[in-house]
Amino acid sequence: NCKHCLIFSITTNADLTSLPEKHLVLLRDGRTLIGYLRSIDQFANLVLHQTVERIHVGKKYGDIPRGIFVVRGENVVLLGEIDLEKESDTPLQQVSIEEILEEQRVEQQAKQESEKLKVQALKERGLSIPRADTLDEY
Amino acid sequence: MLEEMEEQNDLGDPAVMRAVHSKPTLESLDSAVLDSRIGSTWGEFEGDDLDKAILQALDRAPPMSHMNLDFLVSPAQRGYLGSPGLKCPDFRMMSPKSFPQRFMRQQSPMMPRSMGSPRPYTPPCRASPLFTPNQSSGYVSPTPFRPMSRNISTPTQPLAMHFGPMSPSLEPPLFFSPPASCQLKFSVPSHMTQLHPQHQRILNQRQQRGQARSISPKKAWSPKADPYSGLMTRKEKDWVIKVQMMQLQSENPHLDDYYYQAYYHRLERKQAEEELLGGRNKQEPPKLVTPYIQKMEIYDSVVRIAGSLGQVAVSTCYSPRRAIDAVHHALQEETAGNQRLRALHRIEKMFLQLLEVEETQRKMSLLPEEQHPRFREKKNHEAGRIYQALKIRACDSEEEAEDEFLQVLCVRKGKKLTARLLPHLAREQAEEILVAITRHLPFLMRKDVLDESLPVLYGPLSEMVGRMTFSELIEVLQELTRPLAGATELPLTMTFKNQFGISLLYALLSQGERLLSSDVPLEPHSGDFEKWTDTVFLVARELSQVPKTALVEPLFLPSNLLSLFCRYLDKQTIHRLEAKMECSPLPSEAAMPC
Repeated sequence: NCKHCLIFSITTNADLTSLPEKHLVLLRDGRTLIGYLRSIDQFANLVLHQTVERIHVGKKYGDIPRGIFVVRGENVVLLGEIDLEKESDTPLQQVSIEEILEEQRVEQQAKQESEKLKVQALKERGLSIPRADTLDEY
Repeated sequence: MLEEMEEQNDLGDPAVMRAVHSKPTLESLDSAVLDSRIGSTWGEFEGDDLDKAILQALDRAPPMSHMNLDFLVSPAQRGYLGSPGLKCPDFRMMSPKSFPQRFMRQQSPMMPRSMGSPRPYTPPCRASPLFTPNQSSGYVSPTPFRPMSRNISTPTQPLAMHFGPMSPSLEPPLFFSPPASCQLKFSVPSHMTQLHPQHQRILNQRQQRGQARSISPKKAWSPKADPYSGLMTRKEKDWVIKVQMMQLQSENPHLDDYYYQAYYHRLERKQAEEELLGGRNKQEPPKLVTPYIQKMEIYDSVVRIAGSLGQVAVSTCYSPRRAIDAVHHALQEETAGNQRLRALHRIEKMFLQLLEVEETQRKMSLLPEEQHPRFREKKNHEAGRIYQALKIRACDSEEEAEDEFLQVLCVRKGKKLTARLLPHLAREQAEEILVAITRHLPFLMRKDVLDESLPVLYGPLSEMVGRMTFSELIEVLQELTRPLAGATELPLTMTFKNQFGISLLYALLSQGERLLSSDVPLEPHSGDFEKWTDTVFLVARELSQVPKTALVEPLFLPSNLLSLFCRYLDKQTIHRLEAKMECSPLPSEAAMPC
């Protein structure tokens, strides 16, 4: 039940003396945002402060600073708190933005090509899978 | 608005604002507006006097008791919070210009103070109403809450969450922010809303850690440098939480929130076990208890405007977005159409009915004995309807594939449906099902080769068998001994290779033996005993002939089978059967009657 999670993220961070918690948000289009959750409402609309879009490719990741994000609730898949202590404790390697974007482009290309081959193979067998334009991309 | 400002001075406490019959505020009309006065009205009153007054008010506000807004916060968390949400001391550090804004936000914690003596938090008491209708102190708060002015058990004027436009004909809004006393109205257990177990654990951990290393905070985020962390006030957070809690509450949590309930029961059971084994202190898994807030309005989530095409979906906080009703108008095609699809469709419909039957059963078990007959009747009626829908009837082996009941049984879900339905059926109906299954057992076994889901029927069927009379038993066994047209093997023999089949056979035999060795008069029909002995001999013969490797292990091996064989067979045969069936040997040779 997603309500439990929302309740969680709201009830903590209750006073000024505590450190603000970073939250990780996964969106329906596959983007991962990390930022300080400043506001939330009953539809899970979010206001993220000092947001960073994190792109993962393999074992590498890169952060693109994005500033303030206002996310419409229906696009949120999940939202979680980041343990600030464990944040740095990751086997993943951080790289520069340019590098990660390049890696991502390469990955997308490989995926597109394999997709093309699949569609071709299906066509040869007389099958066709309709393009799922409205489905969430990953 | 002006009147309000003047009146506050009368009370001598500028923190208090009296509720007046002003025209509906923007907040009451539009739930999206939390505070329409920020930056607007206050601008008119800027000046040192006001600031001084505010400062005085702030000075006077002592550390509040825990009653103000922490109703939704667990005791553990309250401890963590330290002095509750008043940000008073920090205000002085802020610029005076921003005071009014912050003051507006922070009004609520101070408000309860004005309402008579601060009440220590008490568990909800049912007798006395907390707000008499005459009570006039209160103030306009930014949020469109209404007070619960009657007692808890029957909230006749329950907390209404009005969203969207409110009609002006409603009674003058006495807007209160949710003071703690108001929250007592919720049927919350005395230890307030508890958090999810995981949540609780993490908060406790954090609390411990926080206390341990409060010395070295991270430099990057000192409180002064993070002015945004208070963007959402306690009040606003609580409000959102309340909305969510309201959406969570349901009349029938077992049905609506099945997975969480099942998970929670499992957790409870596991903890109970651990408690028994480990002897630890009783730990109850804290449950997320939603406070009961009665929804005042019944709204139509889909509005049809006469003469227009389509529907307008009204979205409120209860259901932010409700999909337009999609009603399946497709007529059921009786003649054409895929048979299997039809069977699946029927199964789904019957399953929903079954869930209702089980729900009735569950409700019945919770109620006192006197009310049982009414429920039982309802349940039997509903179960009977499903039985009718199953369309069990006699059919030949050629018609098996077309028979509707057998089609249902070929589907795994159909078997589950039948298995769950059996305990609720009348005796004759359940027997019909058993007879039908046994009659078509070879067919069913053949169809179940891939799925292997027949064993789901074993439990309820074996229970049924345990209650059968001798004659009924014979009737069922006849189905297994009757030779099939076009088959070399007896159905009996075919069961050896199927786990369910052999288990059912053993169960039947075991029941027979039990009946014979008991003192209950059997009242057999004529010819029953012969049929019985014939069957036993037949079973023994087939069992001894079938190679051991072909014999499948049953789901359950009754212990009285050997005793059964002892009645009729010689020692040698028995030993052979014993070895084949891998029964535990009889106590001692001398004790054997044969």
